[in-house]
Amino acid sequence: MTSFNVIRWIVWKDFVTELRSRETISSMVFFALIVILIFSFSFSMDQQAAREVIAGIMWVAFAFTGIIGLGKSFSTELQNDCLEALQMVPEAKGAIYLGKVAANFAFMFVVEILLFPMFVILFNLEVVEEISLLLLIFLLATVGLSAIGTLFSALTVQIRAREVMLPILLLPLVVPVMIAAVEATKGALNGDPLALYGQWLELLAVYDVVFTVVSFWMFELVMDS
Amino acid sequence: MTNLYIRWGGLLIVTTVLIVLTYHHYRDNLASLVPQEVRKEAPTGEIRVLGMVQGGTLKTRDAGEATFTLLGKSATLPVHYQGPPPDNLRELKILILIGTWNAATQVFEARDIGIVPNYGFIAGAYLLGLLPLALFLFAMTRRVNFLYEEIKASKLYEEE
Amino acid sequence: MTIHRVIRKVQRFQGWFGGGAALCLMVGLYLGLIGSPPDYYQGEVVRIMYIHVPLAHTSLLGYTVLALGSLWYLWKRDPIVDNMCQAVAALTAVFTALALGTGMIWGKPTWDTWWTWDARLTSFTVLLLILIGYLMLRTFVDDPEKEARYGAILAIVGFVDLPIIHFSVEWWRTLHQPQSISMRGVSISSGLLVPLLFMSVGMSLLFSYMLMVRTQLLYLDRLLHAKKGRLLSQFHLSKSDS
Repeated sequence: MTSFNVIRWIVWKDFVTELRSRETISSMVFFALIVILIFSFSFSMDQQAAREVIAGIMWVAFAFTGIIGLGKSFSTELQNDCLEALQMVPEAKGAIYLGKVAANFAFMFVVEILLFPMFVILFNLEVVEEISLLLLIFLLATVGLSAIGTLFSALTVQIRAREVMLPILLLPLVVPVMIAAVEATKGALNGDPLALYGQWLELLAVYDVVFTVVSFWMFELVMDS
Repeated sequence: MTNLYIRWGGLLIVTTVLIVLTYHHYRDNLASLVPQEVRKEAPTGEIRVLGMVQGGTLKTRDAGEATFTLLGKSATLPVHYQGPPPDNLRELKILILIGTWNAATQVFEARDIGIVPNYGFIAGAYLLGLLPLALFLFAMTRRVNFLYEEIKASKLYEEE
Repeated sequence: MTIHRVIRKVQRFQGWFGGGAALCLMVGLYLGLIGSPPDYYQGEVVRIMYIHVPLAHTSLLGYTVLALGSLWYLWKRDPIVDNMCQAVAALTAVFTALALGTGMIWGKPTWDTWWTWDARLTSFTVLLLILIGYLMLRTFVDDPEKEARYGAILAIVGFVDLPIIHFSVEWWRTLHQPQSISMRGVSISSGLLVPLLFMSVGMSLLFSYMLMVRTQLLYLDRLLHAKKGRLLSQFHLSKSDS
């Protein structure tokens, strides 16, 4: 079995599990809906105020739901000692990492695509012109979140108090992703020229590359038993 | 163990000396009177008075000379300032005047203007910076000594 | 073991580090509090700089040592290097918290606010959060080897993240507050530089000294635990034999 096959099988396994149980995506979507509801209660918003804060609300909702998905990604492997089985895969552990990143990215991205129309409808946004740019921002930020999140999901799953430790460790490290995603989304929603917020897209791209590589190396050490 | 206490005692003595020196250095800058005290006690000799320059009273004659009224809580002082050209003499500014109280003319003859001291912040910052470090280090050193003694006493230590 | 020899050699100079730290700090404090003139713009409050800036420098130094030590641990897997990493993390957390605290005290008289979302303050806060996360992570792992390994991974990932965090926060600030309060405008005259130098050197020496003491403490703790455990198992074995 080559490394590429390992990646494919991991992604396939996660998709099949998800299709059969429908646990992760449904819980993520409903959690995000509740977050949106809570936010719209806590800030009584008119059209103008909504423009200012909507990007922040969106990314807080996405990050929290992402953490739910990331936590589930490895905690489901605890059943029936699947984690030990993964540790015994003869191929390089990096292949498992890439497979898990791909699966986590797919889940988070699907949830974001499902939720985005909700934001558009509930907060009366006009996004028709910038839709491709927004998709690019979502893509870059989600790659960053899932690249580093998968590493810490694998790390925290083997310790006590894992549900608490994942956000505590992850959120300070993804501060750049959050800032860049919020600023870029705000710029795109306001219809600003790309030159004004293009630097944030560059920052996201750099972050993605750096942390995919670093996490890829570190994953080997996390999975050592 | 006694060695530890001797060392920390020495450090404590040096620190105390430093604190006393600092206090002496700034003591002159700390004491100041307010206008009502000057009115009541009519002190002789050079004093420091804390107050606010009353709005609309400042008249500058030339670079180093000015007259204004110093506002306190319940009293005011007419002030005649003569000295180096002041940088921070403005209306409604709180400042410290250094000079003598002329009881005969009821005018405060100021010769210099000082800045209102905010030594509380400095003292707070130094205490916050150094005290926790010292306590932390002391606790750690003591614990290391205890551990050494425990290892010796329980005969746990043997050459491997 | 070469590492043990290195550490024993360093330990021999421990007293020099401690004495040097005490001397430098005392001279620095004397110069800073009494011997130096007040700043033209800030007045006497500038004296807070002599305690705040060395604390901040030392915490950055500490984080670098933590990342290098973590790399060293992952390479050699020597438990005493891990003791050093754990010690340096706790100390750096303390130094960072104190740097933030003195910075807040400095901000009140100069900027008239205890807290501002200044780039440097924000990135130091994130740094403190990462360090607290590191220390928490270590308490939640049962196996000491795993504890060391996971800690090292988090420290290295955090170290790689630090410059990115700093840049992103700085961009974010310049975007929202163009007239951002910056310390760069304050030119440091030589009268202020000498006490600052003494305090910086003194703080770094103090940090090294505290690091030695704390590493020793963690090492002895581990030794005692191991020996006690071995004695206990021997005791139980002899009981079951008879």
